[in-house]
Amino acid sequence: MSHANSTIKRRPRAAHFGGENAAAFALLALLVVAPFVAGDYIAYILPQYMLYGLLAVSLVMLWGVVGIVSFGQAAFFAIGAYAMGLCMGQSDLGFNSGYAGLASGALAGGLLAGVTGWFLFSAGVKATYFVLITLALSIITEQVAVSQSQLTGGFNGMFVNRMALSPFEGGAIAGDIALYFFVLGVVAVVYALLRWLMASSFGTVLAGVRENEDRLTALGYRIDQYKTLAFALSGAIAGLAGALYATTASFVSPSLAGVLFSTQVVVWVAIGGRSSLLGGLVGAMVVATASNYLSATMPQYWQLILGVAFMLVIIFFKDGFAGMFARLGQRLRPREVS
Amino acid sequence: MLNSLLSIAVDLTLITLVLALAAFGLAIVYGLVGVINMGHGALLTLGAYLTWQATAWQIPFPLAVLFAACGVCVIGLIFEHLVIRHFYERPFDTLLLTWAFFMIVTEVIKIVFGTDLRTVSNPLPGAIDLGGVRVPVYRATVALIAVGVIGATAWLFYRTSLGIRIRGLIQNREVAGLLGLNISLTYKIVFGIGAFMAGLAGGLISPMLSIDPYIGNVYLVRSFFVVLVGGMGQLLSGTLIGSFFTGGSETLFALFSSQAVAQTAVFALAILILRFRPNGILKNK
Repeated sequence: MSHANSTIKRRPRAAHFGGENAAAFALLALLVVAPFVAGDYIAYILPQYMLYGLLAVSLVMLWGVVGIVSFGQAAFFAIGAYAMGLCMGQSDLGFNSGYAGLASGALAGGLLAGVTGWFLFSAGVKATYFVLITLALSIITEQVAVSQSQLTGGFNGMFVNRMALSPFEGGAIAGDIALYFFVLGVVAVVYALLRWLMASSFGTVLAGVRENEDRLTALGYRIDQYKTLAFALSGAIAGLAGALYATTASFVSPSLAGVLFSTQVVVWVAIGGRSSLLGGLVGAMVVATASNYLSATMPQYWQLILGVAFMLVIIFFKDGFAGMFARLGQRLRPREVS
Repeated sequence: MLNSLLSIAVDLTLITLVLALAAFGLAIVYGLVGVINMGHGALLTLGAYLTWQATAWQIPFPLAVLFAACGVCVIGLIFEHLVIRHFYERPFDTLLLTWAFFMIVTEVIKIVFGTDLRTVSNPLPGAIDLGGVRVPVYRATVALIAVGVIGATAWLFYRTSLGIRIRGLIQNREVAGLLGLNISLTYKIVFGIGAFMAGLAGGLISPMLSIDPYIGNVYLVRSFFVVLVGGMGQLLSGTLIGSFFTGGSETLFALFSSQAVAQTAVFALAILILRFRPNGILKNK
């Protein structure tokens, strides 16, 4: 743990997550072999869950690092998805419309988050109000998606073609395996970049915002700008995840922005572990996979179980599963002599 | 022209008062004990379903609503006793916990009542003529009940010893505790009243729409706007002004455009107000 000497304690709760690198590599290895071992269906469905994971990561960097909870990540995800759908609908862009979709998805999510964030943070709006407004953002996005049916297909949703991976127009449409590794690559790169960013001085300031806003203000940091930047980045990641999700799942519907889905994201992160990027990623993938199987076998009770689990995590295990593993790892490690 | 103005005015009054009724439980709990009850929407829905169930048992409508309100109050009190009372010091956690409560109540409603649409038949069909404007009797009655409920709460807060205790608690918790006030009991009473109001509102709203497990969601968001715009702590005037603003502007926008556009516009307006008047439209910082 190389950051131990920094003046501001970096991500104190997460400081024990030294095993995160090892766990991340293990997960990467697992995901690389998964499509060859587990078969076609896994290769088809797993990328969607990885993108849910990326969406969860966008929330972890807010909740775990900066200490702000957004219920609006689904809104950015859906906006990214629709941006991809609209780009793929244009045939004569002159270059690969898939990449245009990814860029505009990230941009749209980032812009909306940035504008909302700047507006609210510069007024010093309370954390609780922020949650309510972001929740409303999701609901409004869903309503707009339903009502603007000439653009979005309304209730029926919108079919989106698979994107071609060649950067030039007219490349072959990606097959399941190619897309699988494309998605895996994007998720891994974004995750690694975020880890790096959160360990940088920017990330340190963000963690400082969570720990003690007043002290940072006294030190001369414009915390509203830091919060806005963090929220914009988070929105951009959610938008990127949404754009890639649209072309992977080939379908976008307004429910991607709805109350249920926005809640899901918060639940994934709470259960996976809000103070670990990897915890959020794995939490989303595991809970989404479990949801897929269990909502088929016991559709009524699964959501209920999830709600109860969410409540228990908030009451008893603040750091979710990642926190539990980290504590376990620390107990097993020989004590350092101080 | 005059006629249509009058009809808009009547519409606005009805919408404001119904919305005030729906938001009142949330405003009470938020304003007095500082808990943003995200479960409020689910409690409204539960109130509507319990009313439906009671009317299905051939219980007369007014008693059915009372039964629903009491049932919702009990559920709210159980939740408060098991979970929320340990978290009053941590408002942000109560927000997440009440959200979990929202999920659980919604799912239990789906399990118990199913997801089919339910309807409660209108107990007071027909309309009265008010200077050329036809006003539905039931909605007018609900509006009057809203006035009565809000008035009664005002009386409770400003004219009874319970009211003095609650107001003392908001002003200064520690001193109130030192004076021998039973803080946890007072909090429990306030939370219970809030849940009761949610159940009452859900029950009274139930004949106006078809009931599905998500009807509370829309009211949850609107109620938040009411409380945010009106300002917390401004229990009576804040709720009325917030409802007038939220319901009124939605109605006005809906005259010129679609419902979704109107809601988006109201949403944007509410954020604007929150941005420049963070403590509500009445208070200037």
